[in-house]
Amino acid sequence: MTRGIRSRARPELDERTRELLERRAERLRAVPPTVVDEEVAWIAEFPVGDERYALPLAALRAVVPLRRVTPVPLSKPHVIGILRFQGRIVTAVSLASLLGVKGWSQDPAVLLVVDPGWGPLTALDCEQIPKPTTVPASVIEQARAHASGPIIEIPAGTEMIHYLELGRLLDRRTGARGGS
Amino acid sequence: MDRDPTSDALIQAYINEARQICQQLTRDVLELEQPALDDKLRGKRYEELARGLHTLKGNSDTFGFHDLAELAHRLEDIVLPLRNELRVIPAELADVLLRAIDVFTTRVTSSNAALPSLDGLYEELARVVPSAKPAMPRVTVPPPFAAVESEEVDLEIEQDGWRVGTRHVVSLMADIERLREIRLRLDEQRRNVARVLRAVVKLPGDTDDARLVLAALSHGLATDAAETGELIESFEHQVKAIATLPLATILDPLRRAVRDLCRTLGKEARLSVVGAEMSLDRRILDALKGPLVHLVRNAVDHGLEPPDERIRRGKHREGSIVIRAEQHGNMLLLEIEDDGNGLDDDKIRAQAIAQGILTEDEELSSRDLQQLVFRPGFSTRNEVSEISGRGIGLDVVRAKLQALAGTIEIHSTPRQGTRFVLTVPADLGSTAVLVVSCDDHQLGIPMLSIETLRTVQPNDLRTGRSTVRLEHNGQLLVLYDLGAVMGLRPAAVPATGKPVLIVAARGRRVALCIDELIGDRDLVVRPLPLEIKDLPAYIGAATLAQGELLLVLSPEFLTQTRATEAPALTAKRVLVVDDSLTARALHRTILESGAYAVDTVGSARQALEHLRHAWYDAVVADVRMAGMDGYDLVAELRARNELRELPVILVSAHDTDADRVRGLAAGADVFLSKKECISGRLLSEVGAVIARKERA
Repeated sequence: MTRGIRSRARPELDERTRELLERRAERLRAVPPTVVDEEVAWIAEFPVGDERYALPLAALRAVVPLRRVTPVPLSKPHVIGILRFQGRIVTAVSLASLLGVKGWSQDPAVLLVVDPGWGPLTALDCEQIPKPTTVPASVIEQARAHASGPIIEIPAGTEMIHYLELGRLLDRRTGARGGS
Repeated sequence: MDRDPTSDALIQAYINEARQICQQLTRDVLELEQPALDDKLRGKRYEELARGLHTLKGNSDTFGFHDLAELAHRLEDIVLPLRNELRVIPAELADVLLRAIDVFTTRVTSSNAALPSLDGLYEELARVVPSAKPAMPRVTVPPPFAAVESEEVDLEIEQDGWRVGTRHVVSLMADIERLREIRLRLDEQRRNVARVLRAVVKLPGDTDDARLVLAALSHGLATDAAETGELIESFEHQVKAIATLPLATILDPLRRAVRDLCRTLGKEARLSVVGAEMSLDRRILDALKGPLVHLVRNAVDHGLEPPDERIRRGKHREGSIVIRAEQHGNMLLLEIEDDGNGLDDDKIRAQAIAQGILTEDEELSSRDLQQLVFRPGFSTRNEVSEISGRGIGLDVVRAKLQALAGTIEIHSTPRQGTRFVLTVPADLGSTAVLVVSCDDHQLGIPMLSIETLRTVQPNDLRTGRSTVRLEHNGQLLVLYDLGAVMGLRPAAVPATGKPVLIVAARGRRVALCIDELIGDRDLVVRPLPLEIKDLPAYIGAATLAQGELLLVLSPEFLTQTRATEAPALTAKRVLVVDDSLTARALHRTILESGAYAVDTVGSARQALEHLRHAWYDAVVADVRMAGMDGYDLVAELRARNELRELPVILVSAHDTDADRVRGLAAGADVFLSKKECISGRLLSEVGAVIARKERA
């Protein structure tokens, strides 16, 4: 068996590929820079129109298909309807409507069932299933120190992510619906 | 010492029966004390009273409890002459009779050695009814049931089976909910299998075997789903039987409390109870006892005037306290209403200023002032009595209601009376609901509020300038279109043959035109979530067999007087057509922010139906919709003379040149991508296109 493997001919690598592999090997051999253990925050990121939004991953209970939602006539415009979730009746609300409608790329297909932390679960519509990712917790804290609304801006590379403070966004008592 | 279990069971049965008879005797005495009772009913009550006493006497003798048999016998001696003459029981005699019944109950049910004396009672009886035998020296009989462990709690349950803890019932209810979800999943799987079956049928080649297997699978899933459904119903029924009691169990003792309090205060009052027969969660009933006793005592002490004063004010000398219980979906509504003094706003205000709650120059509406009575330590009484006036009470009542996730409101009119409205969620109850359809919505209406169903007949319609009325059984009722009431479409005169419900609530009746009657269901109606629970239109939502939620309408909302279409006449109307719920919500948000009146529909077909009956200033339609798409809708509109000029804005998630060209070629006035629907753009385009058409 081993003979067979040894005798297998190696493919010839062209110059560019060899260089690429050597650089990659060099990087891997290098002593990693001193990493300061930085606390990160897990967020769930998703698009609304052309903009990037995120909410704390811990608040995300489930992503369910946008089906079996019963519309509620005479409700506020941002209320899409109600649905059953794990034996409970949950309100589904339009995130774009809550945020003041910045346009949308495609009709939302999923609902994010979130726990705002102060009250019942709420479902927010979403164009795509969110991606879990991390950002330094300090970035969120710094942004939070300079904002009082339901949305805070956090830098992510060259772009900004609109981070949703769910408690403030959904808390009717603050009257803070939309806007940052 | 070993006890004979058969004997214990018999004694237990005797105790239970005696207790029930004593409750009945109390009710009888309270009624027989009322002069207004008619002779026929009085005769019936006397019969019950005599029969009950006789049974107590016989049973007590049988079990060797001769002192109790003697007591029942003496009470019989007093009651029988009164029965023969159908006399009103004088209040003083009623006092003693009620006390005697209390003593009997206590001696029967208590295992405590310190039992109330019978001798004192006999002396009192002899004083009130001179012909009654005085107290006789007798041998003290030991407490009859000391050997039998008798408790107030759930005797029947103990005798018949097991005592059931609250957490077990709650756990069972949670299991039922889980079972319901499993049933829904079975339905979903059956639908999936049916889809696969349809796909297999279209496959080339021999698929007979696969089709047979899939058909059998589908049938099996359907059978399992149906059986699970039956089990859920059965479980629900059993849990209700375990966990509920008639409301009467807490209301009946209040009659006695009112009567005794009136005797103490020199007042006269009659307590009427409406809806006492409904069954409710035992936990809620238990928690409501305290608040109800407090409110009823408050009504007698604070509310009702003494008889002389009532006569001076032109009222009946006997005050009225009415307790009304209604179940609205799974909300229990309890009203406690008296026809007494009502709240004195000036006194409340003065007291609020004295307590530093208000300043001299602070103005509050009468309604806001009245809410102050729920503040801790707030009382307008100058003196503290045994009954009330310490300012402890209404705040506690409110706290208890809040602990049950309930509410309490007060409505009071000076010199006319006070009404407390208590609302408590009652999860275990189910409600008969009529399911109707309106536009593409299904809605429920509590059956209790529906008097009858009929159809629209042109001869019965009376069309006025602002209202349409329906002649029904010689009465003219306002006819509402449910679709218009729910804001789903503009109001229109209903077509002949359309179904109409006659709905009644709070003394008001209206005729309600619906699109279709689906059928009646017995549903568990649950409260709506926080975001929408304040909508007056609904009492809650229930789950239908397929798992979808059904909104159940409030009869009060349906019967309330409403302005007819006034806002719609001034605002420009836009019809939004989109098969996406969220897109409809977004368009509505944008357009309503521009002061447009917006109706939304989920398909092009529904849009055409709406446009047949109502006028719109513009249509905003999605391009890609199931069935007829936006292009076809525009083409159809342009083909109709009356709609040829109607402004149409097509909106698409796909922003290609080809789409845009095709949309405009089909006759759309504007083509927008959904990305372009930023707040200003859609609004400005709708405004511009309407203005252009109006100029033309």
